[in-house]
Amino acid sequence: MTTTLPPSSAPTDPDRPASFSGTHVLGEPGQIDADGVCAWFGGRIVLESVDLVMEKSKVTALIGPSGCGKSTFLRILNRMHEVVPGAQLAGSVELDGVDIYGPGQRAMETRRHIGMVFQKPNPFPAMTIAENVLAGLKFSRISPANKSDLIEESLTKGGLWNEVKDRLGELGGALSGGQQQRLCIARSLAVKPRVLLMDEPCSALDPTSTLRIEQTIKEIADEVTVVIVTHNMQQAQRVSDYCAFFLAEENQPGRVIESGRTEMIFGEPTDQRTFDYVNGQFG
Amino acid sequence: MAIDLDTPRSEPQHVAPTPITITRDYSTPDRIFRRSVQISGGGVFLLLVAIGSFLAWYGWPAFETAGWGFFTHSGPVTPGSSSGFGVLASLTGTVEVAFVAMLVGAPIAICTALFLSEYAPLKTRPTMIAMIDLAAAIPSIIFGLWAFFELQPNVVGFSTWLSRHASFIPFFKVTSPPLNASIFIAGLVVGIMIVPIVASICREVFSLAPAGEREAALALGASRWQMIRTVVMPFARGGMIGAVMLGLGRALEETIAVSIILGGSYKVTTEILQHGGSTISQLIATNFGSGGELGLHDLLLCGFVLFLLTLVINLAASAIVNRSRSGAGVDL
Repeated sequence: MTTTLPPSSAPTDPDRPASFSGTHVLGEPGQIDADGVCAWFGGRIVLESVDLVMEKSKVTALIGPSGCGKSTFLRILNRMHEVVPGAQLAGSVELDGVDIYGPGQRAMETRRHIGMVFQKPNPFPAMTIAENVLAGLKFSRISPANKSDLIEESLTKGGLWNEVKDRLGELGGALSGGQQQRLCIARSLAVKPRVLLMDEPCSALDPTSTLRIEQTIKEIADEVTVVIVTHNMQQAQRVSDYCAFFLAEENQPGRVIESGRTEMIFGEPTDQRTFDYVNGQFG
Repeated sequence: MAIDLDTPRSEPQHVAPTPITITRDYSTPDRIFRRSVQISGGGVFLLLVAIGSFLAWYGWPAFETAGWGFFTHSGPVTPGSSSGFGVLASLTGTVEVAFVAMLVGAPIAICTALFLSEYAPLKTRPTMIAMIDLAAAIPSIIFGLWAFFELQPNVVGFSTWLSRHASFIPFFKVTSPPLNASIFIAGLVVGIMIVPIVASICREVFSLAPAGEREAALALGASRWQMIRTVVMPFARGGMIGAVMLGLGRALEETIAVSIILGGSYKVTTEILQHGGSTISQLIATNFGSGGELGLHDLLLCGFVLFLLTLVINLAASAIVNRSRSGAGVDL
C-alpha cells in the first residue's frame, strides 16, 4: 500500500524539490546524504565534520566506542537532535536531494519520512497492540483504506504477527521486551518511512530477540533504507552492507575515521584505529 | 536377579507441602523507625476520626432542636434562635462558589502547568516556576482584599453583560440587583487563588511523563500538541485529578476571601451573579460567638456538614485517581 501526503508547498526550483511532501512517495526507500555535520551540546562540540552517504535500500551500520557521537549523528538524521535542550548542529542532511533542515521544512514531516527505533523499547503502554501500530498514521491524520490489512502487514514485517495475531486488543505494555521492540519497529514501518533509523535496537534484548530483529532488518531492507547504531561488531557484520567507524579521541569531538563496505571495514581497513577497534583491541 | 515387573511398587507417600513461617527480626534502629512512622501514620487517621466525632458530638444538640429541618431550612441569619436555623443556603452557596472556582481555576491551572513544563523557554523557566510556587504562598486575606478593591469593580461590568446576554442560562439570571458581592465574584477569587497550587502540582506530574514515550511520539511525526495529548496528558491524568481535587478542597473551605466578598444573605439561590449568598465556612466565621450555646452547636453541626462534604469529595477523587491508568483512553 502506498500513501501519499498532501502537498504543503510548491518546489521553488524545478530541479531541486524544496519539500518531500509534494514530490516524494512514502514507502519507497530513500538515500541520505550528510554533509559536514557538526553537533554541540550546551556549547560543547561533540561531533565534527561528518560526511556520510547512506545508500538507498542498504543497511548502514554506525560503529564505534561509547560517546563518539554515533547516536547524536543518528538523531540529527531525523531532526530528533533538536528536541534535546541546548543541542545545536551545523551542516546539511539531504533526503534524496532535499535538505531536511532547509527553510520551510517541518520536523514533523521529516520524521514521517525518516522513522526511528530507540534503544529502549517504547511502545505506548496503555494503547493496544493494534492502536500502537496505527499511532503514527493517526498523528499524520491518515486513515488507511484497510486498517486490519495494514496492521497485519506491519506486524508481519516487524516479525511479530504470528505471536500476537490473536491478541491485537491487548495492551502494548503487556508484551515482553523483545516483542515490544518489534512492535516499535512495526509501528515505525506502518507509516511507510523511506528511511528507518535504529539506535542500538537490540542492546536491551536477549540473544533470541536480537536474532529475530536482525532477521527483520534483512527482510525490510528492500523497502526501506536502514541506518543502525550498534556496539555489537558481529551484529554490524551480520546485518549491514556499509559501515562507518566513529571515534572521539581524547578531548576531541567524534569524527568518522573510516567508512565503506562492511567486508572492507572488517576485512581490510585502511586505518590502524579501525583495525584495532573491529578486532577488539579497544572500545 | 529377575526383576518383578508385575507387582506394582508403592509410590512414595505424597505429603502436602506447607509453607514455612518466616520470622522477621528487625534491627533496633529499624524497629524504632517502624514504630515512629506507624505512630505518625496512625495518628493522622485518628485525628481525622477525632475531628469528625467532635463535630458530630457537639453538633448533636442542634440537630435535636432543629431536626431534619436543619438541612432543609436556610436561616434566619442568627444561629441559636430556636426557630429554623438551617444550613441549606450556605451548603448550596459553598457548592456554587466551588463550582465557579473550579470552572475558572482548573483550566487556567492546567494550561499554566503545560506551558511551564512543555513550552516555557528554558532560560526563564526556573524563575517562572519559582514565581508560581511563591503565588501559592500568598495568604488568602491578601487575595480577598485585592479582589474587593480591584477585581470586584472590574468584574461587575462583565456580570452585567452576562446577565443581559446570557440570562437564558438560569445561573446568569438576575432578579434583584446590584451585581457586586456575589457568589460569582467569590468563585472567581477562589478560582484565581487555587491556580498556583494546582498548576504547581500538575507541572510536576507533567514533567514526570516518560521521555522514551515522548520521543516515540515525536519520532512518529507527532506535533508537540499530539505528543502532549498522547503521552503527557494520559500519563498525568491521575495526578491532574488529584491536583484539581486538592484545589477543590481549598475552594470548599476558603473562608476569609469569601467572607470579604460575599454579601451574606441566607437564601437558596441559583442566581449567582447578584448580590448575596453565603458559604458554610463564611457562615461559621461571621457568626462565631453569637447566638449562645445553641448557636455554637448550630455552627459545629454546619462544620460537620462541611467536613462530610470534603470527605465525600476526596474519597470520590481517590476512586477516580485509582481507576485512571497512565496512558488510558487516548483518542487521538
